[in-house]
Amino acid sequence: MASSQKHVFSLTGVLYQLERLEARDQRSAKPQDEHQGLQDSETDLEAKIRKLRKLRDELRTKVKLHEASARIPITNLEPYEPLKNSEENLEMKLEKAKAFFQAFHLTGLSGKLTTKGVCICFSTAFEGNILDSYYVDLIIKKPLTIHRHSVPVFIPLEQIAAKYLETNFQHFVYSLSEHLNAYSGRKYQADQLQCGFSAFLARPLQRNSLCTLLSFTYTTDPSGKSFPFCARLVYQDLTTTLPTNVTITYQGTGATPASWEDQRAAHEPLFYKNALYKVFESFLRVREN
Amino acid sequence: MDEIVAEFIRRTILKIPVAEIGKILRIWNFLSESQLKTINLQQCKENVSQDVVELCKKKRASMKEAAILDIIYHQTCQIKKIWIVYKMTKAPGEEVDLSDMEEFKASFKKVLQRALKNVHISFRDSEDDAVWIRIAWGTPYMKPNQYKTTYVVYHSQTPFVFISHCQIKKYIPELWQALMTAGNYHKIRQMELRSLYLDSLKAIVFKQYNQDFQTYYLTPLEEENSEAEIVDPRIIHENMKEKERIQRVTRETFGDYVQPRIEFAQYKLETKFKTDCKNGILAEREEPFRCLVKFSSPHLLEALKSLAPAGIADAPLSPLLTCIPHKAMNYFTIREK
Repeated sequence: MASSQKHVFSLTGVLYQLERLEARDQRSAKPQDEHQGLQDSETDLEAKIRKLRKLRDELRTKVKLHEASARIPITNLEPYEPLKNSEENLEMKLEKAKAFFQAFHLTGLSGKLTTKGVCICFSTAFEGNILDSYYVDLIIKKPLTIHRHSVPVFIPLEQIAAKYLETNFQHFVYSLSEHLNAYSGRKYQADQLQCGFSAFLARPLQRNSLCTLLSFTYTTDPSGKSFPFCARLVYQDLTTTLPTNVTITYQGTGATPASWEDQRAAHEPLFYKNALYKVFESFLRVREN
Repeated sequence: MDEIVAEFIRRTILKIPVAEIGKILRIWNFLSESQLKTINLQQCKENVSQDVVELCKKKRASMKEAAILDIIYHQTCQIKKIWIVYKMTKAPGEEVDLSDMEEFKASFKKVLQRALKNVHISFRDSEDDAVWIRIAWGTPYMKPNQYKTTYVVYHSQTPFVFISHCQIKKYIPELWQALMTAGNYHKIRQMELRSLYLDSLKAIVFKQYNQDFQTYYLTPLEEENSEAEIVDPRIIHENMKEKERIQRVTRETFGDYVQPRIEFAQYKLETKFKTDCKNGILAEREEPFRCLVKFSSPHLLEALKSLAPAGIADAPLSPLLTCIPHKAMNYFTIREK
């Protein structure tokens, strides 16, 4: 906490008395066992929180790896076999290198060498739409440092770098790419909702910088005949583009009508499983039918 | 309606340029469209503001609505206010939290009002998802002074806060405490960065000024037609090469786009005086020679960018000048290494 030291020079009088009282108070505050006991249990709880968070992160990575291993691994190459003809050797190497670059291009990662290191470009995309690109300029020396970057300030770049940059560079790139793609995807969904489906929104969309908390009031009928639904979408996991928590509440006065309840029960799972604009596209289709 | 509120609204309308009055009143959304139509914007400003005050009296505007009008005026028009950037840090081990803006506002208001009596706080969200906080300070014996206000601009989930230069300095610690508690931060410090242009400060600090990362792969510029005064082809070639080099270096340093706008950069030197002349009163002194160098310009970074191409300075420029946006500083203290 920002605090300033105050030096009060006083020789006599009220100020002097106050200083003495303050000093006495500070002295008596020091040896307090139960205060110490409370502090100890506080640090214990903090350590416990950190342990649980670590466990949660490990479980999340395990789930992700499990999902990823179900896909065809593009970086799995056959073991290298020495060929008789050295030219064929070279051609095969070239083909494999080209395949590598193609594969990495699909992931949106590319890099260029600079005078002091390398500049990595993270191109993000969501559901087939190409979105913003972000750059990280690294200087290759011990320790590896980030010279400049265009990553938004609310992406936890320092935390990801602190965890992986020195120890596991691939993981650093992968984790940052995950965060950036997820942020781009969430932002894209929020922007699409705000611009494309503003007729459905009774109140403008409210979001925070990371787009991990979206709150809006919508109706299924833009002409205003149906009841409004007040939705609050929470994205606890910074690396996902689908919400982890969806709450839909009733904003009007009086008891909630039964039809509203049915609709709410139908809408909630839609928000969990589909991108925002897809949900509203489905509302549009229902209305047109 | 209070006379104080009426006077405040009248004075606020007088400050707004005539072209913007209609727009701002519409954004304010306190007077209805039909009421707005009755205001003749062609008459002199005194009368316009009088009309607005009359309409507000009918609708019984309170200080709360008048404060919102003030915020909208500040958000829409370029007000000459110096903005200072502050950076908050979290305790180590804290994660990025969810940051509900409504909770932030409620918490901020609660903490500040608990610390200070008689403070008037208003909030308004801006288009770029930031919250503008307007604070009018009072004392335990005086109502808040609505004419000496402090503005705070905050984007959720970022550690940066922009505070307009506050004439009332004694409440700054309470303001910081409220910001840190509401935003869930641990420490706050003032950055060495200030300017009249809030948007430029945001661009620098959020790195939105299109830093050109492609500068490494650019081919040298195509040479434009230069005057054919000098006949010797070798001389022309040297000039061309030098020009190209300067352009390339300038491009690598500053990029292709418009720089963020700041008005000055200040360097406080606490280094020893260096001179070739061995005699002289300033030579060979142990104590540092303290001096202050201040560069000012309506658009400082663009001016620096044009120095080398104009031939006034050598390229590359001193890194002390070119690091301003990257380091997000325009106040420097340079000491002996």
